[in-house]
Amino acid sequence: MAYMSMSLHAVNHRLTNIPVKQLPHLASCLAASLSNCGELLSTPQSQKSAKSDSDNAVQIHKLITRLGSLLQDRTYEGRWTAVVLVKALVEAGQWEILRGCESFVRGLISILAKSDPVTTKKMCIITLTRIFHLTYQYPTLVREITTPSLPGFITSALNLISVKPSSEPVRRLKPNTPFVEVVLQSFSELIARHPTIFRPFTAQIHSVLQNIIGSTAPTFPEPILEIAQQLFISLHNCAPKNSGSDEWKNACRMTITSIHTTSSYVFRAVSEQWESSDPSLRQISHPQDYGQEVGNGPDALGLGSWQGLDAGVTRLVVLLRMLSGFLGNPTSSTVNMPVGAVLDLTARLNMLTVPSSGSDIQANPQIGRAERENLLTELPRIHVASLKLLLDLVNTLETGVLSVAQTILEQALWVFRAEKFSREVRTGVYDLLSALLARVGPSMTKQSVSSLAVLLRTCCHDLLPPVGNQNAPERSDPKSKSKTSNQAAVNADAFLNPGLKQVRQTSSSSSFPHLNRAASELLVATLTHAPTEFVSPALRAEIDRTIIMTSDKNAMLASVLNPFPAMQGRGVGTSIMPFLARSYPAETEVESLIRPRMPVLMNGSAINGYAAMDEDEDEEEEPALAPPTASEASGFLKPVPTPSLHQDMMDVEVTPQALNKRSYAEDVEMKAPTPSTIESPAAATQSKKLRFEAEQAAAAPTQPSLEAASPAAFTGTAAISVPTSSIAGPAPTPVASKPTLAGSSSGKKASALRSAEAAEDESDDELPTLNMDPDTDDEDNEDDE
Amino acid sequence: MLSECFIASTLASSKVPASASLRDVGVCVHEFQPTLNLRSTFKKSSTAARSLAVSPSHVFAAQSEKAIVHVYSREKGNQEATVPFPERIRSIAVAGSKNGDVLVLGTEGGRLILWETCTGRQVATTASHLRPVTALVVDPSSNFILSGSSDASVHVWSLVDLLSFTKAPSGRDRQPPNSPIRTFSNHRAGITSIAVGHSAGRYNIAVSAAEDNTAIAWDYHTGRLLRTFLLPSSAISIALDPADRAFYVGYQDGSIQSIDFYKSQSIQHPLHDPSLQSTPSQPSAEDRWLPPSADCGAAHALTLSYDGMTLLSGHQNGKVLSWNVGRKKYASMVADYTHPVTNIMMLPPSGLPHPTLDLQRVAHTIVKPRYDHTLSESSQSSGIVPADYTFSTHLLPSVSSKSDPKPTQFAEAFSHAYFPESMIDEGLAELAALSQPGSNGTQASSMSQAVTDEEVAAKDSQIFQLEGELATLKKKASVNETARQSTTDEVTKLRSDLANLHDYITELHEKQEQAQREKIIRQARKQERETRRREAWFAAEKKGKKGDAVVRKMDAEDTVMTSDTDDQSSDEQ
Repeated sequence: MAYMSMSLHAVNHRLTNIPVKQLPHLASCLAASLSNCGELLSTPQSQKSAKSDSDNAVQIHKLITRLGSLLQDRTYEGRWTAVVLVKALVEAGQWEILRGCESFVRGLISILAKSDPVTTKKMCIITLTRIFHLTYQYPTLVREITTPSLPGFITSALNLISVKPSSEPVRRLKPNTPFVEVVLQSFSELIARHPTIFRPFTAQIHSVLQNIIGSTAPTFPEPILEIAQQLFISLHNCAPKNSGSDEWKNACRMTITSIHTTSSYVFRAVSEQWESSDPSLRQISHPQDYGQEVGNGPDALGLGSWQGLDAGVTRLVVLLRMLSGFLGNPTSSTVNMPVGAVLDLTARLNMLTVPSSGSDIQANPQIGRAERENLLTELPRIHVASLKLLLDLVNTLETGVLSVAQTILEQALWVFRAEKFSREVRTGVYDLLSALLARVGPSMTKQSVSSLAVLLRTCCHDLLPPVGNQNAPERSDPKSKSKTSNQAAVNADAFLNPGLKQVRQTSSSSSFPHLNRAASELLVATLTHAPTEFVSPALRAEIDRTIIMTSDKNAMLASVLNPFPAMQGRGVGTSIMPFLARSYPAETEVESLIRPRMPVLMNGSAINGYAAMDEDEDEEEEPALAPPTASEASGFLKPVPTPSLHQDMMDVEVTPQALNKRSYAEDVEMKAPTPSTIESPAAATQSKKLRFEAEQAAAAPTQPSLEAASPAAFTGTAAISVPTSSIAGPAPTPVASKPTLAGSSSGKKASALRSAEAAEDESDDELPTLNMDPDTDDEDNEDDE
Repeated sequence: MLSECFIASTLASSKVPASASLRDVGVCVHEFQPTLNLRSTFKKSSTAARSLAVSPSHVFAAQSEKAIVHVYSREKGNQEATVPFPERIRSIAVAGSKNGDVLVLGTEGGRLILWETCTGRQVATTASHLRPVTALVVDPSSNFILSGSSDASVHVWSLVDLLSFTKAPSGRDRQPPNSPIRTFSNHRAGITSIAVGHSAGRYNIAVSAAEDNTAIAWDYHTGRLLRTFLLPSSAISIALDPADRAFYVGYQDGSIQSIDFYKSQSIQHPLHDPSLQSTPSQPSAEDRWLPPSADCGAAHALTLSYDGMTLLSGHQNGKVLSWNVGRKKYASMVADYTHPVTNIMMLPPSGLPHPTLDLQRVAHTIVKPRYDHTLSESSQSSGIVPADYTFSTHLLPSVSSKSDPKPTQFAEAFSHAYFPESMIDEGLAELAALSQPGSNGTQASSMSQAVTDEEVAAKDSQIFQLEGELATLKKKASVNETARQSTTDEVTKLRSDLANLHDYITELHEKQEQAQREKIIRQARKQERETRRREAWFAAEKKGKKGDAVVRKMDAEDTVMTSDTDDQSSDEQ
């Protein structure tokens, strides 16, 4: 408190003693000291009983008086400083200052009419908005300050950006005024809170907004357009009591009608296939003069006319964005969102796509080819806006979208199939699909998932560096016939200059940030929400490879947490877990996944506990099929799985691991008859025992001394089993039959490993009391891979 | 303030509540923490077990033995609607996660009715259950419905498929539309209660209890059985731990039993251990927590607090009891509603910041189901969303969704303690421009003047340049002038020198001539003297006198005379 009163003193001193001309340079420091005095400034007057406090009260009063006189100062500098300090004072002092700030408000409003520089006025508007905003929660202050002065503020702000030519409530926008954005921002901040005060001005504001939104020749910059649309939508707040929702509905309906009308003109070069679900729209036919250039007069919303196809498309995009705004911006009360009408509209827009080589659109013979081609070139722009509209619909309705999700999905796929060449369209489709998958992903059918296959492939393609993708599919999936398309194109530079690949890899990841973000989010959403068993193995391999190549942590986690399920007769699934562990060893998510502390979903079936952690989820899925590890004696022996299909997807990492498992299973089988290992006939104990041993077996490589000691400690029977296992091993293993290149090379490695493990198994018999921590067990598995 | 409430509903009975505030009350919202007290009540309701559903805005209570659902508004605290249905409703649940837009009703006839409370659309399923639907839950992803019936089967339905206008291309063509996607039939008697795990992922579990004294944990995504629990008697209510570590069942005699999935010290998830899956396990008797008195009656409903450490149970005698999960015993009596407490649900605590659960929209009023196309299963086969399909909701201003990557200058300044640095700098620059005298006051004042200024300046500079040139030229000229001056001076000087030299030369010539003349004179004198001497000698000789003496006498005279002349001649040379 002492510090605060001191700094308040200092502020006062400087404000009074330093010449006004030099104050602006100090304003920032003064404002900072003021905002640090918040506690002092906001202390209620009644509590200021002590002597020091009364001194503070004097200081505060002095400050307020000085600022009040600075606001009326003759110099620009004085007024400018006053505006900055008033904002700081109001923010810091809250109610205590607000209740006495009426004179500030009057001073600030009067500045708006003076010939002050642009920033002074901008800051004035912001400060006033903030004061009105802060007073909102105190009804008495609203009555004392906001209600009397807000109309004056609205008028002066409107005068800044527009002129009122006559007594009619219509305003014309001033050209090139720098205040449009800040005024509209301020109005949209205030309008929902003070609808009754704004009500007399709605017509004027409306006419200004029509000017902004409807201007096609010099379009306004994006932020201004956006805030204008937002304010246009917020105007429904000002409707008289209880008619706000009707007002909203009417404005929304008019926007939809306006889009329909505009698209009738814009699309006149082709004959549309679309038939509205709304009977009232079907009857409407627009007789058009095909001789003239395409254009339309004032429409349902009262926006100005436009001429020429480009202007028409721009208008269409602006209107679509406005409709998005209707779905996204807060409303005054409960409204009836016309979901059916919006989907009908997007169906119309999305049905007309750029013709592919196979299909052709029905041309309107009365329109020249130039206009038709022009229209087809502009189509992606329209579709990007309509995809954004659908995305906003999904985000707004959230779970309410369930009933229309399938419809939206189909529309997105129409556009994607025809226009996937456009980067913006791809980004839009990816975003929309990510949002949809989060809602309806878990209950997707196999058919819906497979309909996304092409899209997901393109998505991987977008993420992968272009060169790296060329020969990858061939290697990863020899069975897939569909992916031989882009093999023909050979980039000679890639052979000539090996460094090129690196360069392009780095450049492609940074070139289109939006597309990359959307694509990687889509991969995450697909893996997390869609049923993994319906994604074809080839596609899954491609997705996994893309994830590894891009080292996207979220996608890696999603892939590990949602592994490809093991299928009957296909052996165990695989996982990119080792890559995740290598890429992000220190991340919390990875740590909690690999070395869980608390009870979590873990290995379901690998009784021996030897299975790598990355197979856990697979085995939860199909535990009866996955484990190739039970022994005969335990009564859980399952048919040994045939070679894993997925090994050829991820041959590099899966092979040794699968072989490890396999070989261990054989070890167990062979060991089973030996009396030294089987003590208890009970199935449960047996399995537990085996698991225990296996844990140790897995843990053993970390203990070189143990490994070294083991051969010496062999019993007679065990010594025999070691060579048997290594000889018998290769015969039934997948290695022999597998055609992949990596198989044979890793086979040797695997057999070496196998014999080592067999030895370790035996050594465990000698050291039955060894109790390994499960955590080291996990680490081991990574090491093995 | 942070508070946690629960909501309980009762079945009307002949008893009369002691407290006047509980008269006629069928649904109570009760604050559980920090202090126990009755928050609000909804009247005129009588619900059987599993007939209460709560959404953020409404409470739905299916009336027992009636085909009516009472809808209460939580905001207004009153009964908003009474919605009749064609069949008696035995169980209800709310779908649509945090918004709760869809009400699922299980009917006496064994089918489900889905009611979109925001649109009024209603969809009915096939009557796949042979007996009444007694238990109904919706999974956390809001994609699946699990319905248990007294016919001992549990059906899994896809909520999306049921609601979708466009039926997804499905491989289930052989089955009629709106039928379950999976059936779980491991129970041998009627299902009493189902609980579903808290994961939205694909490894979520469901636990169902049946009258055959078993509870089964299973995977509803695959229909695979995970574990069977043999219970001492028939469980009538189930609650699942927030982290799915254990579940709790309530029995007819009012006792509670906890069943911990993680009993063994295994590192594996016991539910996914196939060696245990085929063996039913029997929870030990010590896990059964006995009620404080025998007259509590059946534990119809269970619910867990947010932290999962307190279990609340609703009992036949109208009491709500709380149990300490950690100490595994009865803790205290929370409330007494006189009538049998058939449903009890813990509400999410208010006051916890929960960005993912913040509502973006709220439905103040429900849209009653429309009957024109209800319950006709194939009416919407065309797959087109009708144009009059509207969604009635109030969109709320949300903070999280509008998080733009780059906030506008306005938004930044608006929330700043005074003004952001960039704006202050901009202002300072503008003021500096104003105060500068050279720029003629406000920049925007007169563009034309600036233009003329520019022209003047241009001319000025030209003139200046020319003057400069002139000066240099002048300087050059003066330099030339002085140079020429100096050369002429030099020349004159040289000339004068030359003249001097000429004078000197002539002087020298004169001197030389004089010297020569003198020399000649001297020679002449000498010759004259010689001749005189010779004449004298000759004369002396002639006279006979000694000639030499005369010559010597004459020589002496000569030296006196010639010494002057010799001096002169030596000077000249």
